[in-house]
Amino acid sequence: MRMWIAGLFLCGGMLFFIFSLIGFYRLNYVMNRIHAAALADTLGLGLVMVGLMILGKDVFHIAKHLLVLFFFWASAPIATHLIGKVEMLTNADYYERVHEK
Amino acid sequence: MTNQNKTIWQKWKAWVNGEEALLHPDAYIAKRAERKKRSKKKTFNMRRMKENPQVYHFLCVSVCAAFIGILLAVVAELPSFGAAENPTNNEVMERYLEKGMEETGAINFVTGMILDYRAFDTFGEANVLFLAVIGVWMLLQRDRKNFSAEQERECEEDAAIETAESKTILQIGAKYLTPMILLYGVYVICNGHLSPGGGFSGGAIIGGGLILYAAAYGQEKVGAFLTKRRFLTMIAGSLLTYFACKSYSFFTGANHVGYAIPKGTPGEILSAGWILPLNICVGLVVACTMYGFYALFTKGEL
Amino acid sequence: MSLDIATVIQGLLVLFLIVSAIAVSVVRNLFLAVIIFMGYSSVMAIIWIFLGAPDLAITEAAVGAGISSVLFFLTLKQIHALKGTREG
Repeated sequence: MRMWIAGLFLCGGMLFFIFSLIGFYRLNYVMNRIHAAALADTLGLGLVMVGLMILGKDVFHIAKHLLVLFFFWASAPIATHLIGKVEMLTNADYYERVHEK
Repeated sequence: MTNQNKTIWQKWKAWVNGEEALLHPDAYIAKRAERKKRSKKKTFNMRRMKENPQVYHFLCVSVCAAFIGILLAVVAELPSFGAAENPTNNEVMERYLEKGMEETGAINFVTGMILDYRAFDTFGEANVLFLAVIGVWMLLQRDRKNFSAEQERECEEDAAIETAESKTILQIGAKYLTPMILLYGVYVICNGHLSPGGGFSGGAIIGGGLILYAAAYGQEKVGAFLTKRRFLTMIAGSLLTYFACKSYSFFTGANHVGYAIPKGTPGEILSAGWILPLNICVGLVVACTMYGFYALFTKGEL
Repeated sequence: MSLDIATVIQGLLVLFLIVSAIAVSVVRNLFLAVIIFMGYSSVMAIIWIFLGAPDLAITEAAVGAGISSVLFFLTLKQIHALKGTREG
């Protein structure tokens, strides 16, 4: 039973990774692409980690997975924010893209 | 003074100093001109080679194909992976696997190997890192000798941009993430003999944490506790400690008869003889090197 | 010869390594080359875990994907080869 629930979570996480990859190739502009990449970083990785936590052997094993999840959820949005900021500062036709669509 | 009545040493000195050309200019010019004329006819000229693209491409591809063929032939001759009669399956590996934990006291064989059986090799690697950071320091440090007005202007512009830019999100993130990264690095270093990891990986993690902090808050904040003097003291002190810990083998003999370090029970954090202090030394050297590279590449000063 | 899933995954990862190693030397944009190199290092770390060398995996992930790419970017900034910096 535990295996089945964990498998469900893992497959769900993998599904979100696949969505993120499709979005990565489908979208053209940087801001849309970081939106697609953030999907894998937050929801996909979260589901995979929950699945691994259900499979975990003891408390420390689960706590390590929790720490990995916390680290990713703290660091990935900052990295995404910085990529967006660099795009906004360096791309010359940013204003045109955003406002005149 | 003509060329004939000189000793060999004087002739050689004149040739090194270029006086030969001054003493016999006509002969020298004639010789040079002749050589040039001759060389025009016969030698292989790369520029003319490139003017003929078909031959050039053919030669490129054939040279590449020859190298690929040689490498593939060598690979085909290699012994197969994991075969029993391979030269790597010798008594050294058996000794490591059978007696490694008993002799070094480390559960993680890799650390036991690189910091006990082959500690001298690791000392050389730490020295390579030290030399690398000193070389980068000599090349890139921004001081009076290495000064140009344009560089100074660029540096001031960078500083102005950095202070004007508000990096609130990055700063808050770095405030909470840096202690965790540093703690993880310390954990990896101190558990080097119990779990995968060790001085090199833990030092690189600590260096990464310091780089994150410096990128978020500016290098002055890191420079407040990692000054130039403390940096050098830390690297040189770690290397000297390493040397002092390991050089006792030279005086007591390779088997440490009568002077053995207590190994402790394998599995505890205070065990495995010198491996824990050596791991800490290597970790300090690597962390300082990584942060030193970053600081010298960005601003040219620590 | 039986194909288990670990062998298939390792084969795919090695294929990715070869493709990215060729791409690093072919790509003209230096920024892209550094990012491909980061991907190469991350995949290499996973392959080290498959081969049973977690020590090397930690070092590869910290040095190859983290610090060496930072140093590459700093070098590109120093020689003004990044888009968006001066004279870039």
